[in-house]
Amino acid sequence: MNKLLSLTKIQVKDFMSKYSQQLNMNKALSRLLILLPIFLYIPVFQIVKSFYDSFSAIGMPELTLTYIHVAVSLIVFITGIPLIISLFFYSKDLSLLATLPIKEDTIVFSKLATVYVYLFGISALLFGTGVGFYGLADGFKPVALLLGILAVIVTPILPMIFATLIIIPFMTVIGGRKNRNLMILVGNLIFIVIILGLQVLVTRLQLDPSNMQKLLSSKDGVMAIVGSKFPPSVWMTKMVMKSWLEGLYYLGLNLGFVILLKFAATSLYKGAMSKYNQQASATKKGNLRNYSYRMTSKRVLLIKRHIGIIIHNPTFLLNTVMNMFVPILLFVIYTFMGIMDLDTFKDPMLAPFMIYIYTGIVGAPILMGSLSTTAITREGKTFWETRVWPISAKENLQTRILTTIVLSLSSSLVLAIIAGILLPVTLSDIILTMICVVIATFCFSTLDLIINIARPYLNWSNPTAAVKNNLNVMLSLLPRMAFGVVGFALFRLMPDVGGSIMIAMFSVIFAIGFIVSYSLVFGRLISKFSNMDIE
Amino acid sequence: MLQVNRVTKVYTNGKKAVDTLDLDIKKGEIFGFIGPNGAGKTTTLKMITGIIAPTEGDVLINGHSILKDAVGAKHQFTFVPDHPEIYDAIKGIEYLNFIADMYDVNKEERRQRIEKYTKIFQIEDALSQTVNSYSHGMRQKLMICGALLPNPNVFILDEPHVGLDPHSAKVLKDLMKEHCDNGGTVLFSSHVLEVVENLCDRVAIIHKGKLIALGTPEEIKHDRSVSLEDIFLEMTKDE
Repeated sequence: MNKLLSLTKIQVKDFMSKYSQQLNMNKALSRLLILLPIFLYIPVFQIVKSFYDSFSAIGMPELTLTYIHVAVSLIVFITGIPLIISLFFYSKDLSLLATLPIKEDTIVFSKLATVYVYLFGISALLFGTGVGFYGLADGFKPVALLLGILAVIVTPILPMIFATLIIIPFMTVIGGRKNRNLMILVGNLIFIVIILGLQVLVTRLQLDPSNMQKLLSSKDGVMAIVGSKFPPSVWMTKMVMKSWLEGLYYLGLNLGFVILLKFAATSLYKGAMSKYNQQASATKKGNLRNYSYRMTSKRVLLIKRHIGIIIHNPTFLLNTVMNMFVPILLFVIYTFMGIMDLDTFKDPMLAPFMIYIYTGIVGAPILMGSLSTTAITREGKTFWETRVWPISAKENLQTRILTTIVLSLSSSLVLAIIAGILLPVTLSDIILTMICVVIATFCFSTLDLIINIARPYLNWSNPTAAVKNNLNVMLSLLPRMAFGVVGFALFRLMPDVGGSIMIAMFSVIFAIGFIVSYSLVFGRLISKFSNMDIE
Repeated sequence: MLQVNRVTKVYTNGKKAVDTLDLDIKKGEIFGFIGPNGAGKTTTLKMITGIIAPTEGDVLINGHSILKDAVGAKHQFTFVPDHPEIYDAIKGIEYLNFIADMYDVNKEERRQRIEKYTKIFQIEDALSQTVNSYSHGMRQKLMICGALLPNPNVFILDEPHVGLDPHSAKVLKDLMKEHCDNGGTVLFSSHVLEVVENLCDRVAIIHKGKLIALGTPEEIKHDRSVSLEDIFLEMTKDE
């Protein structure tokens, strides 16, 4: 078999087998997971439908494609970065590949094929739904549908290669530096802030009244508004509308990027690998006199160890920071750029809902993040250590929950302060919200750990597989959805109850959730944890 | 067959792991590479196999430079690292077929060699299982089978005896001899000095990145009636 095909096949197989093997092992889980995509797909379908209805109402349903394509390209770019870093720099096959008689560009393309599979899933889910609406909703349009499917297949290529061309040289530059992990984190956050910031700026420029007038009077003006953040989206839309010239632009641009990568791959890969393959070998001499010999309690030590595992792995660190601080980041960017108009929140109409908005912002780290679902998995092959140390299984599990609580509540606290200053909330709102968020954090930190005990998965081959391409993370959405449904039902059933009382009721529900999950973890599941197989 | 020409490796933190190392390993030779922990053995093997680039110097394998003609050089050897880290969500047979593809081993040869090596290492029944179900030793054996599959000119192994049971360790020693008898070359690092002394045609001792002894075991011992272990301990003793 051709080397590129063989290498791609083995990498994709290794990547996909992680899912299929786990499903084969657990029939109940596989049944549950059949339902999960449906649960996840419902909101996607609803959102896309609302876009389609809105754009159809102004007689331009094709804008659904433009709009979603812009969003998907951005999502693919941002999602692709940690995946590329993980597969190119922290994958355990790096040494093996370096010794095989294959060209560097073959390695780059085969690795990107694995990244593509993952990103294609995102494209198919979001953009594919848009194409489905456009091709089917107002009568069957076979050509548009076929061209749309082609666009779904092509969509991840451009942002993925763009991310590769940026991130690999960046990683090479910082590869030899002392604070490499910190640099990776800061650098990636800067990239994301720049991309989001640029997008926000461009959007604002276009929404300027004089610009708007000009754009609306020009041919394809509205499409230009939506798509000029990312012109390929306009070309793609016109391609689906059977404009062959724009189709040629769109496909040509993607092909151009593939060719560009082909030429750049060898030097990119050589440069990066020369820095990273020597990572494990370069040890530094310490000075015995400078070491601390202070005694620390076992619990503090274990929490420090769990936080250390996250900090010392750039993929884990980036993933955690993204989960914990992206709400803060978005909040800050949007506020400073004037997108989030704080005066809006002073509207008396919003006053009854202010405590919900505040609670949503402060609780975002635990509602969006699911650190406990990978609290055991993150340890990977070093998990055995906690088995041989003189600590009880209870201490072992408690410190994992506490680690999530420490991290999650730290970012909630920052959000509580920033949002407390910016939003018109009272001191009692803040106190009530903090009580609710603290209880919710205890609840989800414990509940998520149940998922990780059920599916520990220690034998991962790259860090992204541990924290991102891990079904645990998706499964953690289910209890959140369940709590959301209960909360919404309460809200609808008791319309006369005020926000503060409702938040207090949510707190009680989370407290019940915590008690139930705590008794499950430290009752039934503790023996499962103690007897967990280590490969 | 394998020439290491004035190879130096200085890491980014300034540590000189290997210092102007010269080696010339001949065709048909079993060459042992020994040294204390942190002496630079693994770094040297990593430079020879192209995992890391030397700061200075070059490595020629059957005339191919690892720096200038990496793919050509890599066609000349196979490598078994000290940690058997490979794709683990795939089946053993898939891994072997993957390696065979990489080295262009044809269908008939790969079938014969896979059967031969997996039988003698007693892992033929495990080939349909995924690698993550293998023990450390089984992974090691699978990697050795993979490395023997292309019948390389140079067979390079880093600490190959770690994790192998006595039967497999014996099989590996026999295969190394057989490989050299058939015109191949073997380079391996080891801490098992008894194996090195009995198996190798020539031995190199490296200490703090520098070559401190090179020759046949007898030459290194200066024909004294002491073991290689005694000489090794004497030479690598810190002042």
